[in-house]
Amino acid sequence: MTDRSVSWTDAESVARLLARATAPRRVAAAFARVASVTRSVRPPAVARPSTPPPRVTAPEPQLVVVAPPEPIPVPKLVHLSENPSDRLDTLMAWTLDHQPCTGAFVADDNGLTLAAHGISEAHVSLVGPLLSALMGVRTIPGIDATAGALWLGNNMMSWVEARTERGAFCLGAVGAEPLSTEALNQLKEALEVTVRDL
Amino acid sequence: MIDTKLLDLAVQDLRSVLRDGLIATDIWDRTDGLSLAGFNAQPVAVALFTRITTELESSMADSNFPPLARYYLIDLAGNHTAAVLNHGSLLQGMLVDNKRANLGILISVAIPRMIEAVAKAAR
Repeated sequence: MTDRSVSWTDAESVARLLARATAPRRVAAAFARVASVTRSVRPPAVARPSTPPPRVTAPEPQLVVVAPPEPIPVPKLVHLSENPSDRLDTLMAWTLDHQPCTGAFVADDNGLTLAAHGISEAHVSLVGPLLSALMGVRTIPGIDATAGALWLGNNMMSWVEARTERGAFCLGAVGAEPLSTEALNQLKEALEVTVRDL
Repeated sequence: MIDTKLLDLAVQDLRSVLRDGLIATDIWDRTDGLSLAGFNAQPVAVALFTRITTELESSMADSNFPPLARYYLIDLAGNHTAAVLNHGSLLQGMLVDNKRANLGILISVAIPRMIEAVAKAAR
């Protein structure tokens, strides 16, 4: 019995079976319905696009070429009096008016105050040891060391020194930042003019 | 020979430098105590500082110390400083209010100017 006979099969039942097999499954259809409902109810999922969406940002500032402000020329110090105290007062006022500082002083090489505004005498007195220390620095060839800046802890003290027959005098300016080289040169010139005939 | 007019000018200059910080000053001859120029003259101070200076100089000499040079200072109660200047045959006393005159002005400006001015007057 190698050949099998299928005569016993019912053609009608075979047709029903085929129809069930080829028809869409009910459960799958139900899942499909639920899925479609869920998709319609849920908020649209945030799909991660392959390319980033355009950001909503503030408009970029337009580049505007602005010319740097013209530096205000600092007028030269002019003394109208021969009186030493008047000259020192004039120097103080000129320094405070034309340099970026909150305090200023003039001291001798012992650290004794000749004039001061906006700075304590304790701070002025450090000029004495400062100038003494610089004596050693000046022994190095080519080192002038007659101007500089010193960090005081909260402020920066910029200073210049002028020497006369009666000794050295120091003009200091206290501010948030050290003074520029140009400003130091202006201070030095003003101090030399002031103490020249003191 | 001392030019007292130049001494007067020197005292005026001192007043302009120290302003209201200068309370009194006298310039006197140390041999006779005679005041030659001054402002708010203090005869008692003249006698006192003549004596103090003489004692100081002799004490320093006896102790083999260097002699007195240009000046000495005395810190007085009440924020006052007495400065005594040695002009040779002349002495000068200054009474200064420390609150009104800076020590730097006194030592680095007023005293050197005064010494120069008196030296010119005494030539």
